[in-house]
Amino acid sequence: MHKYFQVFKLSLISEFAYRFNFILWRFRNVIQILVVFFFWNSVFSGQNEAVFGYNREKILTYVFGILVLRSIVLSSRAVDVAGEISSGNLTNFLIKPLGYFRYWFTRDVASKVLNLGFSVLEIALLYFLIKPPIYVQSDFLTIVGFLISLSIAVVLFFLVLFLVNSVSFWMPENAWAAQFLFIVIILEFFSGGIFPLDVLPSSLVSLFSYLPFYYLLFFPLQVYLGKVSYILMFKGIFISLLWLLILWFCLSKVWKMGVREYSAEGR
Amino acid sequence: MERVILIDKLVKEFVVNTKEPGFFAGIRSVFRPKKKRVLALDNISFSVDEGELVGFIGPNGAGKTTTLKILSGLLYPTSGLVQVLGFDPWEKNHKYLKNISLVMGQKNQLWWDLPAVETFELNRAIYEIPNRDYKRSLDELVSLLEVGGLLNVPVRRLSLGQRMRLELVASLLHRPRVLFLDEPTIGLDVLGQTKIREFLVDYNRRSGATMILTSHNMDDILNVVKRVIVINKGRLVFDGPFHLLVESFARKKVVKIYLSDSADIKKFEQYGKVVKVDFPEVVISVPRETVALTSAEILQNFPVADINIEEEPLEEVIKKVFKGGKVKDA
Repeated sequence: MHKYFQVFKLSLISEFAYRFNFILWRFRNVIQILVVFFFWNSVFSGQNEAVFGYNREKILTYVFGILVLRSIVLSSRAVDVAGEISSGNLTNFLIKPLGYFRYWFTRDVASKVLNLGFSVLEIALLYFLIKPPIYVQSDFLTIVGFLISLSIAVVLFFLVLFLVNSVSFWMPENAWAAQFLFIVIILEFFSGGIFPLDVLPSSLVSLFSYLPFYYLLFFPLQVYLGKVSYILMFKGIFISLLWLLILWFCLSKVWKMGVREYSAEGR
Repeated sequence: MERVILIDKLVKEFVVNTKEPGFFAGIRSVFRPKKKRVLALDNISFSVDEGELVGFIGPNGAGKTTTLKILSGLLYPTSGLVQVLGFDPWEKNHKYLKNISLVMGQKNQLWWDLPAVETFELNRAIYEIPNRDYKRSLDELVSLLEVGGLLNVPVRRLSLGQRMRLELVASLLHRPRVLFLDEPTIGLDVLGQTKIREFLVDYNRRSGATMILTSHNMDDILNVVKRVIVINKGRLVFDGPFHLLVESFARKKVVKIYLSDSADIKKFEQYGKVVKVDFPEVVISVPRETVALTSAEILQNFPVADINIEEEPLEEVIKKVFKGGKVKDA
């Protein structure tokens, strides 16, 4: 059996070893969806005009969409990498004939598959319960563009996360702070996880569109909602691919330096 | 005999940030960290032949673990030559990594929440072990280490001793040609230590693997290895057969006398240092060269029920090695 397939299998099994944890985490997700749904639903109730280009249907799709995208793009096991470095557990991987990035990417994918499976179930359930108005994209090229930008987003997030985690090589005791700052604040804000970015002044939005975070959640969703033209879609895919290459280059440099710094200590 | 490990003039220097105690010093260290250079290995040279089982001893912080980490490619040497199986370990060539294993008594590779057999399966995939070899290795290791009943128990529920034996299985499934063991018996009870020790000797004989074992448990060294390398403060202090280490540093023998009647204890002082008096037992430490003469005289002049001549306790010898530090090649 191929080694990374075995890693994939083992990741799934170990996620199930924490069955209760996982169920609670999914439960939290459902509650979160409900809260956000009822909030925006009441904001738009009674008026049917668009606010910042969003009417009730589109804002609800945006909110739902972000939640689904979040479980695909942002669900990750690679958040543990910082801990692996500072605890010295990284040693176990460095002495084995195994690609560390490939290992963690596989574990990420396993986690995403599991999360995606569950979120599809939940959303189907919620859909029948509260019957929200959801915008369904039907244009073939747009759907293809959406899937491409989604795949890029997955890899981009992996790279950003790994770069942030690499801080542990130099500051093993401060890694969580870097992670918190980047992932919880910067990333959530600039990726449109907190609110649709285009409610901001357009000059600011176009500035953001040159940052990698923009392509994690906001851009794929904009593509899905049909809010960008084909030209802008291709431009976005091009910029995000460029970021992908830049970050990949940085990560491989930083990682090499980090492993050299690593003294395999701990416990 | 093929030379498997070659280390020549190896130096490893660490740069560490130091922190002084106190709140303000803590703040200062954030902005202007004080760097300090620490010499962990100072010009170490030795080589190991195929199939050898070498004991690597020294006090805490001597540089034992650092050497093993360099040999397994985890640390980058500051200068000097390191070659194992013809590879430079730092390059982490997969062909190299497939032929070595590093077992650390204080670190585990088994997945905590899963049964050990799952980690074994993962290692089978990682090391690309053919099915038949895998089954054979697993059966052999499981019966040698007596862990048959533990394979399907989640690792978190195992005792330290059980876990350590399973760690060994996980590290040996791919039949490494070179094995680095860092304190494999640390924290285990006497029975657990004995099991691991017996296994290591047996495995070395069966597989012909080259093994380096660090420990500060003297029983590990006494019962397992023939050759020892002693390092202290990053320097190589001794490299040679174990009995030579004892002979060159144990200058004295311990004479234990059991008296049959009371005697003037003070008179023993003329022969050597009186270590312990607990009637009827008297223990004196006597220079190696005069031990035969001394015991004859004691037998003549005292009411002796029994007399015993022993080597100095190993710990004492080792203490002298660390303190005295004369370099001797054998």
